[in-house]
Amino acid sequence: MLHAVLTGIPLTLGVTAAALIIGTLVSLPLLACTLSGNRLLWLGARMVIDLLRGVPIVVWLFIFYYGVTLGSAKLSAFGAAVLGLGLVSGAYLAEIFRGAVSSVSAGQFEAGRALGMTSRGLWADIIAPQAWRVALPGYTTYGIGLLKDSSIASTIGVAEMVFQAGNFARTTGNGIVVFLLAAAVYILVSVPVGILSRRVDERMSAVVAR
Amino acid sequence: MVRVRDLSKAFGGNPVLEGVDLTVLEGTVTALIGPSGAGKSTLLRCMNLLERPDAGEIEIGSHRIDARSRFSKRQLYALRRETGMVFQHFNLFPHMSVMRNVVLPQQRILGRSKAEAEHRAQELLARMGLADKGGQYPNKCSGGQQQRIAIARALALEPRVMLFDEPTSALDPEVGAEVLEVMKELAAEGMTMIVVTHEMGFARNVCEDLVVMADGGIIEQGDPQRIMGDPSHPRTRSFLHAVLQR
Ligand SMILES: Nc1ncnc2c1ncn2[C@@H]1O[C@H](COP(=O)(O)OP(=O)(O)OP(=O)(O)O)[C@@H](O)[C@H]1O
Ligand SMILES: [Mg+2]
Repeated sequence: MLHAVLTGIPLTLGVTAAALIIGTLVSLPLLACTLSGNRLLWLGARMVIDLLRGVPIVVWLFIFYYGVTLGSAKLSAFGAAVLGLGLVSGAYLAEIFRGAVSSVSAGQFEAGRALGMTSRGLWADIIAPQAWRVALPGYTTYGIGLLKDSSIASTIGVAEMVFQAGNFARTTGNGIVVFLLAAAVYILVSVPVGILSRRVDERMSAVVAR
Repeated sequence: MVRVRDLSKAFGGNPVLEGVDLTVLEGTVTALIGPSGAGKSTLLRCMNLLERPDAGEIEIGSHRIDARSRFSKRQLYALRRETGMVFQHFNLFPHMSVMRNVVLPQQRILGRSKAEAEHRAQELLARMGLADKGGQYPNKCSGGQQQRIAIARALALEPRVMLFDEPTSALDPEVGAEVLEVMKELAAEGMTMIVVTHEMGFARNVCEDLVVMADGGIIEQGDPQRIMGDPSHPRTRSFLHAVLQR
């Protein structure tokens, strides 16, 4: 029983990590478009974000699983799960980052510009570090949510923890304990991450609190 | 020399500056006063192109930009490099130590080495009476200290002209006095300064030139003592009356 849950852990963590990385990479161009001041780019990014967020994740996973072919080969279940969760994450993270950037005061932009910084330097040295601190709690909360949402990958046959637990329950008829075990693993991963993030947040805001 | 010629700026069809002409000689201090909404900040922000004017010319040192024609990023940065700006709310970078606030722009904009930039920063902080503050974060400093750090940060880039937009308005009077003292020393050293202020004492005693703005234009300009003693424009009279009442 323990074995069933343990064998699912690598895929649970793998799907989560890969989707978070893809999501972060996807969120940045979306963020850039929403902040560009160009109406067309803004509109395009808004549409993509709303589209991605407007459909249940499980539906996206099925769409990518059945709909995306690479050459003649179908996307693997793992690939579809990572792609679907990653894109949806990109939309949510873009919103988290946008909120964080807008919390940086206009005076910071003005000071950087008045000093003669290039816009790349301004973003790299002034805006992004401040926005990142604001975004960090939301980012970790999202990451923890994603860890749990990675269980949706079981619906398209990714053999992660919930999939394994389900198999075990079906074949042995013993369901409650194996799912309690799976629940414990989610808690064991997410609680320390949450605590760590709060620690980091407290330490950073002690320094820069305004 | 700093020269603004026939400068106009509107926000959404609402004219804020209309044909402003202003010349500031090297080494002089000009006070810019006038009622709220007169366009003082906008004029200052046009000088370093934080706002892009709709028309007119800005000339600082050997750099000139005509708002009507296209200009390159390079020209924009060249012009900004000639100016330093100090804001009402300081706008220090809260995620960096005081030292790094003064050092980073030197590295990025002047390409100075870290050692060189730190040396210059320490020199300037000491001059501002803040020699021991380098390791602090800005939020641990008082408002008056923060404003002096902001002045040091701007000075570190060796600007030709310093633009101050109500540098003491967010400060208690006695703290503001420390900042004004520093500005007075700068003036004595020959720094060219344009100062938007409501500090009439500073305008009278430190500034060589007084510019009174109202409704997007300059309505009076000249010797501060003369204008304060005998304003020729009725709006200057009522404005001075209102300010001195406070
Ligand atoms: N970014 C902007 N967008 C729209 N209107 C603006 C903007 N900046 C300034 N204005 C308007 O331009 C006019 C002049 O503003 P400005 O800030 O230059 O005045 P000021 O003389 O500095 O006043 P104060 O003493 O209140 O600082 C005001 O009516 C203001 O509402
Ligand atoms: Mg103003």
